[in-house]
This record gives sequence, structure tokens and C-alpha cells, in this order.
Amino acid sequence: MKFESVNLKDKDITSEELFNNRRKFLKLGAAAVVANSAVVDLLAKDKYPTSNLNYKKDLNELNLDLSTFDQITSYNNFYEFSTGKEKVKKLSHTLKPDPWSITIDGLVEKSFQIDVSELIKKFSLEERIYRFRCVEGWSMVVPWVGFELAKLIKLASPLSAAKYIRFETLFDKEQFPDQKRGIFGAIPYPYVEGLRLDEAMNPLAILSVGLYGKTLENQNGAPIRLVVPWKYGFKSIKSISKISFVADEPLNTWQKANSKEYGFYANVNPNVDHPRWSQAKERVLGKFFKQKTQLFNGYEKEVGHLYANLDMRKYF
Amino acid sequence: MNKVLLFVILLLPAFFLLYNVLIIEVNDPIKYIYTFTGTCAISLLFFTTSISLIKSKINLLKYRRMFGLFAFFYAFIHFLNFFVFDAELDIDFVIKESLDKPFVYLGMISFLILFFMAVTSIKSLYKKYNKYHRLVYIVLVLITIHFVMAQKALSVEQWFYLFVIFVILYLKFMQRKSLLTNR
Repeated sequence: MKFESVNLKDKDITSEELFNNRRKFLKLGAAAVVANSAVVDLLAKDKYPTSNLNYKKDLNELNLDLSTFDQITSYNNFYEFSTGKEKVKKLSHTLKPDPWSITIDGLVEKSFQIDVSELIKKFSLEERIYRFRCVEGWSMVVPWVGFELAKLIKLASPLSAAKYIRFETLFDKEQFPDQKRGIFGAIPYPYVEGLRLDEAMNPLAILSVGLYGKTLENQNGAPIRLVVPWKYGFKSIKSISKISFVADEPLNTWQKANSKEYGFYANVNPNVDHPRWSQAKERVLGKFFKQKTQLFNGYEKEVGHLYANLDMRKYF
Repeated sequence: MNKVLLFVILLLPAFFLLYNVLIIEVNDPIKYIYTFTGTCAISLLFFTTSISLIKSKINLLKYRRMFGLFAFFYAFIHFLNFFVFDAELDIDFVIKESLDKPFVYLGMISFLILFFMAVTSIKSLYKKYNKYHRLVYIVLVLITIHFVMAQKALSVEQWFYLFVIFVILYLKFMQRKSLLTNR
């Protein structure tokens, strides 16, 4: 996949407002014909946010069918709030994503802290329309906005001893209700994820700060999250507060919670089943019929080489 | 309370399910149907077996068969959801998954037992087969495991449900014990 900029002039792009208005107009037409509450609901469902980020558009060359803003922001796994995917949105108001600083430490020349707003200024943002496949068997397509993780890694200048990168979600009982529950918490906190450094340097790996042109909603992992589209969703850690460069493979949260079912790599793979369910197909949000899951979630060309010598049955 | 009213009440969840799937259009309909019908079936099943525990206070014994059949009804939708929507009528897949994955075969065994009980709940057959209806205790245990396995991690509410389930199982166990010793 290429993300080259094409010389589009401002006038070539339908403004978002006009785009939304057109949709609204079409739907109003439909509503006039069958005016009932269901249509009014549909109107409310398809609302798209006003953009507040400057970024380079993804031209969506693969013609992926985007999930709606409503779907992406109301079906979330964020156990710090709740294990109920539909409950997270309502509960997530306790998270305060602005201001937000990230600590970068471990095997780097010099540890430092940096504010997300500063990162946004430093690195130009770009949109990445990616498939997103959850280990539970559902999937969506998300227009993320962010920057390549490789850019941050270069900024951190890790030492040669650094082989892995470890991410941590904020630990704050005031902001995340499930962190208060101690042994009754759903999973151990803080949430930890990790990548091999060469995986992290792959151009597909991004740190996302927004979606649909707007800064991330709390339930999607505001203000900054990882997105690694060839891996199951749980690898894409949310609300990151710390990034460390380390020599050994980090023990990620799901592996810690249940190592028989979740590993370190978690590459999307239709040929390796989860012990409890098949991974051959996926349920696209909003659709009744399933579609086939692709190896590496369809990004084999971009990332396949990283795993040429890895037994993916053993290292699932 | 009359039977027609009870029938309608027990059918309400099915309409609620249809409404959410077809009108509200939940994000992940297959998953939603699993959770919803599974919850209905398991709650009704535990309720049905608890009827004899509370019969001295409220006697619902004459409605027990209807409660049980509705538990089966929701389990049946649960099974259909697996077979029709999730497996997309791929029989090989259903058989492979049922033999392969504990999570699936626990559910499948429970469903087959419930199916047997539903069929033999007809008066003429019940006389002959009612002693086998104790198999429901196996179902209760299996579906509890199935329910726990369906979760990636247990939430506080789910620990609470489990607590209620264990209390009911304990009371049933004590009841049977006293029945046997007083015989």
C-alpha cells in the first residue's frame, strides 16, 4: 500500500459539511416518504463529527467500506471501563485526555516526557484507512488519523540493546473505574502491550490520535493509541501513558491473563483457531453475513516478511 | 395467573430481540443473539428448577412445564443462531467445531439433553421418561461452564450471577439429599 500525496487542490475535495449535508438531504427525502421514528433514528446514527485535525487524506485505494462513526464509537473493548462493549461509551467520560503526557524510557539515549499536543505538532498527521479485526471474531474498517510509530522511535533514539517496545495504558483509579476493583477487576492493570522493534518500525504501525478527522473519542483510546492492523485488536493498546524500550519480550496483558489462548504475536490468522472459536471468518459490524478473514488481516504483502521464520501455530 | 398471560410474558423477550436486531440494528447481531438468548435460556432454566424449592411459598408447579419449554425455546434460537448465521449452514463446520472445541460441545450436549426433555415432556411420553428429566442437573452444570467460557474475562456482575447460580445449585443439592434420606 502506498500513501503518496496526490496533488489535490482544496476545491477538488468535497467539503465534509457538504458531504454530510448531501447525505442528510438524501435521508430527509427518504424520511419524507416513510416518515417514521426508525428513519429519524437512522439520521441520528449516521452523524459524522466536525474535523479538528489537519492531516493528509488516505485515498482508500483498496476501496474499503468504512464503518460508520457511530459503529466505531459505540462498540468498544475497553475493560478499564467495562467488559460490555456497548457500555464503554457512556462510562468513558471519566477519562481526561487533555493535557496528556507520555513517558519514554528504558533503553534509550535519554528518557523524556512529551505531551501529545506536542507530538501532533512535531509529526505531520495522515489518515490511514485500516481493517480492524478483533480476536472475538468481529471486524470493522476505521479511518484513523495519526503518525507512523517509526517516527517516534527515531525521536527516542533507542540503544542497540533495545529489541522490543513496551506500551502501557495509564493507571489511574479516578479515571478508570475497573482499576478500582482490585481482584474483581476484569484483567490485571495497567494494560501492557508490546511489539518486536522491527514490527514497530513497519510503516503500517501507527500511533493514532484521531478518527474520521477528529481527535479520538475517550472510548477509542484518547488521546493516543497504537494501531497495528495486521494483529488482533487487543494489540492496539489504548490511552498510552508510557513507552519503554526493552531487551526482552514484554509480557502483554492478555498473555498474562490467559496464555493458553492469547500470545505475544496475535497476528490475524484464519488458519489458527482460538481454542474456543474459529478464526476463519469474521462478522463485519452491522452485517448479518460473515466474510472470510485474511492472513495478516489482508496486509501480508506489507508485513509477511517479518514472520518468515516464525512458526505461527506456536507463536500465535 | 392464567397460562395464556404467562405464555405472552415469556414470549416478550423474543419480541424484544427481534426489535433490537431488525429495527435498532445492533452492531454485532450474531453476537447479540447469542448473548441475549443464552441469558434467557440459562435464567429460565435455573428458575424452572427452583420452582420446587419455593413451592411451599408460591406454588408454580403447574406452570413448570411451560417455563421449561420456554427455556428450550430460547436455547433453540441460540442453537439456530450458531447453525444458520454463525456457521452459515455449513454442516461439516458445525460437526468439526462440535467435536473440536469444549466450548461448543458443552453447549451442544446441553442442547441435545434439553431437546430430549422437550420432546418427552408430552404427557404420554413423560410417564415413561420423567426419571431421565433429572439430566437437567447435568445441563445446569454444563451451561454454567459454557457461560463462563463465553467470556474473555469475568466482570463483577458475572461473578454475582455465578454466586446466585451456586446458591441455587447448593439448595437443590440439599433438597435432593433430604428427599433421599427421608424416603
